[in-house]
Amino acid sequence: MKKVFFAGLSLLLLAVSCQSLKEEFEPVFTEIYPSAEAYHRYSEAEALAQSGAARVTSIRDLVARYNGASLKINDNLLISGIVSSTDQPGNFYKSFYIQDETGGIEIKIGKNGLYNDYPRGLRVYVSCKGLQLGMYGGKNADVGMVQLGFVDPTGEYETSYIESSLLVDDHIWRGEMEGAVQPAVLGANDLPGSTDTQASNRNVGRLVTIKGLEYGWYDTRYKEDNEVFALLYLSLTSDKKVSSNRLFISDSSAKTHVTTWAMSKTKMTSLLLAGYWDEFYIGNGNDYNYGQVGDWKYKGFPDRKTKLYSYPGVDRQAASVSHYFSTPEKVCVQIRTSGYAKFSDTEINPAILAKEKTIDATGILTMYQGKIQLSLNSLDDIVVNK
Amino acid sequence: MKKLILVCNLLLLALAASAQTGGIRAGVVDRMGRTPIAGASVELFRAGEKIAGQTTGEDGSFLFEKLEDGPYTLEVKNPEFNDAILHVNVEKGTIRDLVCVTMTLRNTMEEPDPVMFVDLDMTDAGYSDSPTILFGANDVYNNIAGYGFSSVRFKNRGYNSETQDVYLAGVKMNDALTGYSPFSLWSGLNEAMRSKESTVGLEPADYGVGGYNGTTNIAALPSSVRPGWRFSVLTNSALYRLRLMTNYASGVLDNGWSFAVNASARLGGNDWIKGVYYRSFALYAGAEKQFGDEHRLAFFAFATPGERGAQNASTQEVYDLMGDNMYNSNWGYQNGKVRNSRVRKTFEPVVGLKYEFTPSTDLNVAATLLWRTGWNGYTAIDFYDAMDPRPDYYRNLPSYFYMDDSDYNRENPEKAAWATEMWSQHIPAYYNYQHLNWDRLYNVNYNNADRRSKYALEERHVDQNDINMALTAKWRINDLISLSGGMTGKINRTENYKKIDDLLGGQYYLNVDQFAERDFASNEAFIQNDLDYFFANGTAEKIQTGGRYGYDYLAQVRKLGAWASGRFQLDNFTVTAAMTAGYEAMWREGRMRKGLFAGLDDDGNEIWYQGTKLTAYDAKGRVISSKGKSEVAQFFTCAFKAGAEYAWRGGHRIAANVGIFSDAPTFKQAFISARTRNTLVDGLKNTETASADLTYQFTRSGYNVRLTGFYTGIWNQTDVISFYDDSQQSFTNFAMTNINQRHMGIELGVKVPLFVQGLSLSGVLSLGEYIYTSTPHVVQTIDNSSEIVRDEDVTYWQRTPVFKSYINESGRKEYERDLDGNFVVDHYQKHYIPSTPQLASQIALNYRTRSYWFFEINGQYMQNSYLSMNPLYRTESANKGSESNPEIIEYMTAQEKFDPAFLLNASMGKSWYIKRKYSIGFSMEVKNILNNRDVKTGGYEQTRLISSDKKDRYYKFYPKYFYMCGANYMLNIYFRF
Repeated sequence: MKKVFFAGLSLLLLAVSCQSLKEEFEPVFTEIYPSAEAYHRYSEAEALAQSGAARVTSIRDLVARYNGASLKINDNLLISGIVSSTDQPGNFYKSFYIQDETGGIEIKIGKNGLYNDYPRGLRVYVSCKGLQLGMYGGKNADVGMVQLGFVDPTGEYETSYIESSLLVDDHIWRGEMEGAVQPAVLGANDLPGSTDTQASNRNVGRLVTIKGLEYGWYDTRYKEDNEVFALLYLSLTSDKKVSSNRLFISDSSAKTHVTTWAMSKTKMTSLLLAGYWDEFYIGNGNDYNYGQVGDWKYKGFPDRKTKLYSYPGVDRQAASVSHYFSTPEKVCVQIRTSGYAKFSDTEINPAILAKEKTIDATGILTMYQGKIQLSLNSLDDIVVNK
Repeated sequence: MKKLILVCNLLLLALAASAQTGGIRAGVVDRMGRTPIAGASVELFRAGEKIAGQTTGEDGSFLFEKLEDGPYTLEVKNPEFNDAILHVNVEKGTIRDLVCVTMTLRNTMEEPDPVMFVDLDMTDAGYSDSPTILFGANDVYNNIAGYGFSSVRFKNRGYNSETQDVYLAGVKMNDALTGYSPFSLWSGLNEAMRSKESTVGLEPADYGVGGYNGTTNIAALPSSVRPGWRFSVLTNSALYRLRLMTNYASGVLDNGWSFAVNASARLGGNDWIKGVYYRSFALYAGAEKQFGDEHRLAFFAFATPGERGAQNASTQEVYDLMGDNMYNSNWGYQNGKVRNSRVRKTFEPVVGLKYEFTPSTDLNVAATLLWRTGWNGYTAIDFYDAMDPRPDYYRNLPSYFYMDDSDYNRENPEKAAWATEMWSQHIPAYYNYQHLNWDRLYNVNYNNADRRSKYALEERHVDQNDINMALTAKWRINDLISLSGGMTGKINRTENYKKIDDLLGGQYYLNVDQFAERDFASNEAFIQNDLDYFFANGTAEKIQTGGRYGYDYLAQVRKLGAWASGRFQLDNFTVTAAMTAGYEAMWREGRMRKGLFAGLDDDGNEIWYQGTKLTAYDAKGRVISSKGKSEVAQFFTCAFKAGAEYAWRGGHRIAANVGIFSDAPTFKQAFISARTRNTLVDGLKNTETASADLTYQFTRSGYNVRLTGFYTGIWNQTDVISFYDDSQQSFTNFAMTNINQRHMGIELGVKVPLFVQGLSLSGVLSLGEYIYTSTPHVVQTIDNSSEIVRDEDVTYWQRTPVFKSYINESGRKEYERDLDGNFVVDHYQKHYIPSTPQLASQIALNYRTRSYWFFEINGQYMQNSYLSMNPLYRTESANKGSESNPEIIEYMTAQEKFDPAFLLNASMGKSWYIKRKYSIGFSMEVKNILNNRDVKTGGYEQTRLISSDKKDRYYKFYPKYFYMCGANYMLNIYFRF
């Protein structure tokens, strides 16, 4: 009996030792990790086969399906384009543009650091079935941009971000690196009108260069000069649509003191605390019923002596800024920059602000409420003319 | 060679009736059964010479008479038992009645060792790695609560780990920066560290005053290691597959030398938590020399080099989707191999030198010098401007896309369905979503411009150099009075930094602060982690593997203390008193100048870059600096203890203890953000504690009962919690002050022999109420700004108000208001000290045979365990909207209570004694036989808020939990001679 017991015990020990050594030297514990498996790159044929589409549809044809309301793509549709934007400097956020010969479109992926996985110059295939087309920035007849995203059941926006990882990977496929997109240099006739979308003007949504831009734009309709526009919110955690929570910093760069491409949180804080905006009104343009910024200097602050904060009712925040420029033909082009862009606090050359020098600007041409906007990938996209 | 030395009941001496000549009387009994041992030889020595000898009678008794006053040595021997040697003083011509001399069986079986699972440390699973109570020989409560409850992370009396004083060779080893008991320093060295002495609760020890949660002194000396060779193999299914251990100790050789070596390896994974593994080794070596009767010098060194993979907590949503409460999000497949991103890598050798001087049996003086050094690293994925790589990041989960309540503003069921598919289908195609996607991290780095790593494996280091000195003296003045005292000193210099462990396919990692980059785009200098390098080179440093980056500072701690204790014993009555006083100083020395907290330059001037002043000041006008020496925080500490004990014939004992303590905060609690700057928490105070306990104990004929009641109040605690705050979009620090607690309860331990020899029933109960009793204050700061973003009371930390409500006619809940329109509080719900059952109980049936088998089966029942609270949810600002809806307070501030748990465990063992020389045996334990996999052992609330659709209130993030593993076994086989 004892012998059987000891034999059993020995066998058990042997089994345990073998198992642990197996674990030790096989999967879990080795410190030599071989190179990772490289990304799978799709060819057009492979992408077509996987999507079930018969041919690659042009971006223009896809956008042309948009007819004033959001539209879910229910058929096998494959588009392909080269990535033309990057979120690396932070001026694009959670999405990128792709373009082909016919136009460009924003793919609303909904994740950060996209340039790591979808760098500029990469061919991307989008299997559109199940995704949704919708417009952002349209108002009445004035158009915005048709985008490709996912359904938004709340109806707040025409599309939402695709976002869910499996959903993204099931629809957006990486092709080969084909090199950076060369911008199209636009003449006066190439610029879109207030009702042009990607379907009617091939330059919309694509990387373009507009030359000879002069700072400021005179609005003949309202007979006023425009230079700077920024929308801030008193409370970032309150409803941003409520008039009492909105603060428009809109005037000349001299009056607003906004002389940078945008405002990081630090920059915004410094301008606020300097008191430059004390006389700006809170509320939408037609609803100035909530006092001025200066009223908030000490409002509700429990202990004035310590002065730990000024303007306690105004949240510190990064703010996007639109700077108005005019083409030689006096067409308005807004260069809109995010407050999260790494170059947001870079001062605009004073000679540009003083209208002593013009610039050539390269960026993604977009439409917002019928207005032309240019979104820069980086500050290298601005060339100051001598 | 002398065998195991056992001295029993010396302190329970009673003076017998006086006679004209002196003598020694006792009964010799078996320790296990307390039955008399007949036929044992008892030899009496004086000054090394045998002067008398006897054999014990049927009742085990012996008596030596007509002895002169003076010291004698008794040697009690029996072939079946280990020898017992006692030193006895005969005084004033009286007969000393030792009552009983206990002997232990020579070849007892090894029971599941209470310290067996001590090395199953779970630090990285969110727990401290300490066992509940280290030890408690002859105390049924401590034996069970110390080991049996460890699987549910029971904290004795609800106290934190740092309240337990752990000494090694007379030196207090609690971590200088955190206060934690550093058991991991010697885990795997069970044999070398087996010999220890301990006290319970408030009892003072003779190697230090101790705190209110007991003290333990591990001898760690070669002469204290069990002599002989010992080999063991252990396997368990809960943490690592295999432990191999060997041990040799010479015992005290004739030439006065003692040697001991203990080595072990812990290897492999386990059945329950994937990615958790051990590859840890341990080695102890020591030599000791006895010079004559008076001098003893011991040298020892040990280290436990190795690495182990850690576990992570997840939300219940993730566990449910994975169908596994033991899911671990730390690992992923790389080329088909499991790789854990969180690996603790340590090598912290400890070297000790102890000198003892014993000029007489009444006086002992010891001096110990102990040095702890080495490194302690913990890896984690660092990433820059790239997607969060954690698979269970909240934006990857269905709940991020859809919640039933539309007020959460998560209303996309289709996306949620995609996320559910991705998580709930456990097929290889989805493994890279459910676990870390290492391949993607490498690909991102490969494809990045100039191969800059966007993802890298960092290794956070806490490398201590800890020098300790302890001087202890014990003086037995006479039979009535004995005194102990000592001095202690500590110099701790700890390097805190992180370095690159693996660039994951990239070429370098850039040393900039990405959180700063978002808010301080205006000036490149602000985003520098190493501003001096940037000024010298015009660019941030490109860090290679092994390079330090991010932060680098020294934590400096100095401690000096003196203590004294006295014991007065008259007949059965004992009084003790002890006190200690100390001085502690701590400061930070920054070694990297961070752009955000540049401070002043070496000449004391402000630092500017491109027209912008980098030097920043706090609200009181003090420079905020990341480099150089901080202000020195100084504290005076003291403690006082007193106790009284009365024992009377029949095995009854009653004891009472009181103590007050004034302890300094730890380094970790003293700086608001030690990673980034020199700023101390404002209003730092000593933590004050008052504690009392009362014990009744009965020990006789195998019966053992102990009942203790205790009450402890703790005031002015400080805590610093660091976390990512969505509302600030940055890493932030919560410095909480004025945290008070109250711990009260009872402990009961009972052991009763049953009708069959060797059969006994034992039970323990720990029933307490451990609660918070104050409203702390919190100051929140951001790692990338000097601004204070929150400065308010944590209003609902202590309790949750429950408001009076009723159901209205339409079936909706409405809250009552008083005449002034205020909501009416019905009652308050207390908030409890988390992560320990406040009711823990066990009942066990033990059976031991004279042929060295033992069996035990026990059932455990735990309840009243609570989730750790996040202070953010208990502030007024997080309870926005509660003015009109008190339900928000009830929802936001309530503390989660875990479900009760019942566990069934069993163990058995047997040892064989071969040719009176070799011993082989095994012990086996099966825990959680009912395979209960729903027992939460701890967790925490995430410090994140969800803003409602209308932005008029907040919701909580799901909390994260740790679970106990299901049925698991441990088998230990040993051979010794």
